Amino acid sequence: MSEASAQYKKQDGKLSLSADGRTVSWKSNSGTLPPLAISVIEIQNLQQTPATATKASIKIVIQKPSASQPENHTFTFTSAAARDDQQAVTGALRKWIETFKAQNATTPLPSTENSGGPSAIGVPTQTVAASTKPEEDMYGDARLIKDAELQKSLLNSSPALRQRFDQALREKPDTISISQFATQFWATRLHLLRSHAAERAQSQGTYNVLSVVKMHTEDGTQKLSISKEQIHLIFNQHPLTKKVYNENVPPMREGDFWSRFFASRLYKKLKGEKITEQDAPDPKLDKYLNLDDDDEHSRQLTMTNVPHFIDLEGNEQNHSQRLGNRPDYTMRPNSADKVPILRVLNRMSEKMMADVPSSDADPHAPVGIDEETYQQLRLRDLQRAADDNRIILKIQNQDQFFSAEQGLHTSSSASTYTKRSPAQVLSALQHDFQSISSGKSKTAGLDLEAAIGLNNESSSDEEGSSKKPRVGSISARTGATAQINKAIRQRHSQDDDYSSSHSIASSEQAAKLGLSQSVFDTLSMTHNTTVEFLHYFWTVFYSGDSERATEVQKLVETLEKSLDRIKAVADTAENERLARLDKLRRENESYTQRTGKKKKFDPSTVKGGAKAVNEIMSPLRRAIDSATQQYKKIRQDQMGQIADRTQPNVM
Amino acid sequence: MNAIDGTDRQIKADDRPPPSLLAIVLDTNPHAWAHLSSVLPLSAAISNLLVFINAHLASGNANEIAVIASHTHKAEWLYPTPKDNLPRRRPNGAANGDIEINGLPKEPSVPENPNKYRQFAVLENAILSNFSKLLDSTTERDLASTPTTQVGGALSLALSYVAKSTLLHSPVDSLAGDNPLSALADSETVHTARVSLTSRILIVSVSGDLANQYIPVMNSIFAAQRKRIPIDILKLAGDTVLLQQASDATGGVYMKPERPEGLLQYLMMAFLPDSTARRSLIMPSTSGVDFRAACFCHRKVVDIGFVCSVCLSIFCTPDLPSNLCLTCGSYLSLRSAQIATPALIPRKKKKKKRAGGTDSATPGGNTPAGSGTPMHA
Repeated sequence: MSEASAQYKKQDGKLSLSADGRTVSWKSNSGTLPPLAISVIEIQNLQQTPATATKASIKIVIQKPSASQPENHTFTFTSAAARDDQQAVTGALRKWIETFKAQNATTPLPSTENSGGPSAIGVPTQTVAASTKPEEDMYGDARLIKDAELQKSLLNSSPALRQRFDQALREKPDTISISQFATQFWATRLHLLRSHAAERAQSQGTYNVLSVVKMHTEDGTQKLSISKEQIHLIFNQHPLTKKVYNENVPPMREGDFWSRFFASRLYKKLKGEKITEQDAPDPKLDKYLNLDDDDEHSRQLTMTNVPHFIDLEGNEQNHSQRLGNRPDYTMRPNSADKVPILRVLNRMSEKMMADVPSSDADPHAPVGIDEETYQQLRLRDLQRAADDNRIILKIQNQDQFFSAEQGLHTSSSASTYTKRSPAQVLSALQHDFQSISSGKSKTAGLDLEAAIGLNNESSSDEEGSSKKPRVGSISARTGATAQINKAIRQRHSQDDDYSSSHSIASSEQAAKLGLSQSVFDTLSMTHNTTVEFLHYFWTVFYSGDSERATEVQKLVETLEKSLDRIKAVADTAENERLARLDKLRRENESYTQRTGKKKKFDPSTVKGGAKAVNEIMSPLRRAIDSATQQYKKIRQDQMGQIADRTQPNVM
Repeated sequence: MNAIDGTDRQIKADDRPPPSLLAIVLDTNPHAWAHLSSVLPLSAAISNLLVFINAHLASGNANEIAVIASHTHKAEWLYPTPKDNLPRRRPNGAANGDIEINGLPKEPSVPENPNKYRQFAVLENAILSNFSKLLDSTTERDLASTPTTQVGGALSLALSYVAKSTLLHSPVDSLAGDNPLSALADSETVHTARVSLTSRILIVSVSGDLANQYIPVMNSIFAAQRKRIPIDILKLAGDTVLLQQASDATGGVYMKPERPEGLLQYLMMAFLPDSTARRSLIMPSTSGVDFRAACFCHRKVVDIGFVCSVCLSIFCTPDLPSNLCLTCGSYLSLRSAQIATPALIPRKKKKKKRAGGTDSATPGGNTPAGSGTPMHA
């Protein structure tokens, strides 16, 4: 990475920082001093001469875990651009030190004595920890909540959320700063932020360009539209085209080249299609037909990571070759001309995958087997079993809690039962039961019609004076019917049961309630923001922080204002309803004038208005009331306490 | 095959709705019924229930019924009458299950009434005689010991009966399906898995104080949920907590009548449709379910409880003896789960900072750490 000539103990040499930032090393030019390597993790202090000093040098103080005293190393930069070197080295070092510190703060230093077993040789164990860390961080709660840019982009992508945010922001009390508000707002929506962050982290990879670019006919002439990026991709994916382009374009014009190329046999070959006799020959381009597109094999061969199957040393243990890991038959050379498309597509995919950096591995991690893989590959059967560290769940017999007798006097309903002694209860019940047992005659069994009180219907109809409601009487039955019908209607209006899985549009819901769409929308908006403030209220309320007492007070005021807002909506709805009533009345009058007949008109049939609004807002009202009441009650208590404390004669 | 011999072997698949089994758990807590007697005497309730049962049986040829009394100290079968004297398992093992259901031969004499469908008469006779037996066997001591009812046991009985009936109804050979000729018939006959029996449970409840049976009832609820057996609740009296959860979790109907005298009307309107019919109906279930749980230590229904992170026991207070979970003995640090006392007075004057209220002040970061997660139910 960065390298600079520097003096150490008066000897010339080179100071360099390793690519992964783990070590700073100095190597003597003459070889009189042994090379020095400093682990960046161990650096305690980093000092440099000020920019005004004549000599540009840095001092590194390190504390080795084994040594008791810190060591000092001083390097003086000797090159012509000594000052720049110094800046570069200290800048890089500082960066790495910070990174490692951040990691160490959370992850304990991986111990080198790794559970007794031998570690993978030459692989710093820390890399495993290092590579996983940043990812977790990225989706951490604290980070998401601070990421204003992410939040903004999420708001932009979701209009509904944006609306809600804006509305709540507009109506927030002034004492709450925007950042406080945002923190609160996002605290309940962390999952949205997280998924959005993950979504943003995705990016599209390359695609098979040749199959995308198409000739299309326009006004009888063949037209070709191809973008700069696409040309770039073509060159990348098919190096042969680049060669052809380079060799031909000065004589040819660029546009001509591309239109000829896309009509040529070469194009078909690259795309993997079969070349037929109908394809027009192209003297210029056809000569490249026999050239191999795969001259970038060389590029793949320069890979840093030697695959196992050509790694001779690795083959000592890895016998994949012997087991016949041959390429698929479509990829073997001989069948090439029969199914060219398969080969082309496979090769295409290989190339694309090679271009994509793997997202799950740290690009700076050392190549080869990592600690985790090594641990997986170890033969553990021969080792002694590790200690079982599971928690043993000792469930005690729960009967001791439950069978603990619940006497007649401990229960809530028991008090009502104590009016009767068990003996009375029993005799009353037996007496009552006798009435139906005796009622059933030996021959006919129980007369059910009599038992449910249907037979003496006539007598019950003319009553109305008898106080006690009789079982099965008409009034009881109508009462029951009314209750059930009400429940069904309520259930129907809520639409929250799973039988109607499709969600009903808000306009339909509004119509059902007899409200106009705009009123309904305002209503839902008011509801949303009020819920937002309730959230905020309870968090602050239970924070137990007296610093925020004024904030709570302001929030209570805001909540009370919400009530006014609901009232305003109710008024609008009521006005609407009155207008509708007026209209109906007028229609009715004109009908009466026209026909001379009177039509019955019942104002209660017109739904909506303040009543409907108040009905659906009643849960919210209750929530606000309980919040304010609790606030007032506790505030009063605390006021009282303060008053007590200020009295000198306490206790 | 049709083409060869020219006959039409189309087999008409049975597309009628499957028979439905209704298991009724009747809460026969004498305390509660005596308390209720001025409004709805037990005798009236039973006769109303009988009419409802008849309606259920009449609405389908193959419909079945089971009635279980959940009494103060035990759960008892009212219908079908259990055969006590029979050995539990016959040596030849044949048709063990059937005996309990249609054990007609030894049935006490059923009065012959030309105006009554015989099956109704048999059922009525069995329920009434079994119930009078149950009443006669109840002693004062049984009543004095507890104010509540064994709804957990009765629910388990109902569930096991439902499970057994479902087994008996399901086709013997799973390969042949419900169409024994399907092997012969051409493949064009569409084969759909047919539900052989739909079941539901109706609990007619009059007692409160069910929290002490929280665990058994909850287990039954989960079993019913898994088997897709709706549990309907008709709550004539008492507090509602547990049973409302039962109906909500299983998709049953919950009713708390305002006019218990109109019992039959409630039964007929709200509880008669079986699960097949319910798919096309809007059922009168009340919204607003009380989801609170009962704590393990005092069996109180709690608003805010504390859950052991190891065994999921619920406690009503964070002050456990030496901070150990009562059920599994794990160490819990519940102190951090306590909610800070609100401080609502701004500190204008110099004042000593009150103790407590040391919780983190950041909004959003208020999830209490530690193993004692507070559960807001």
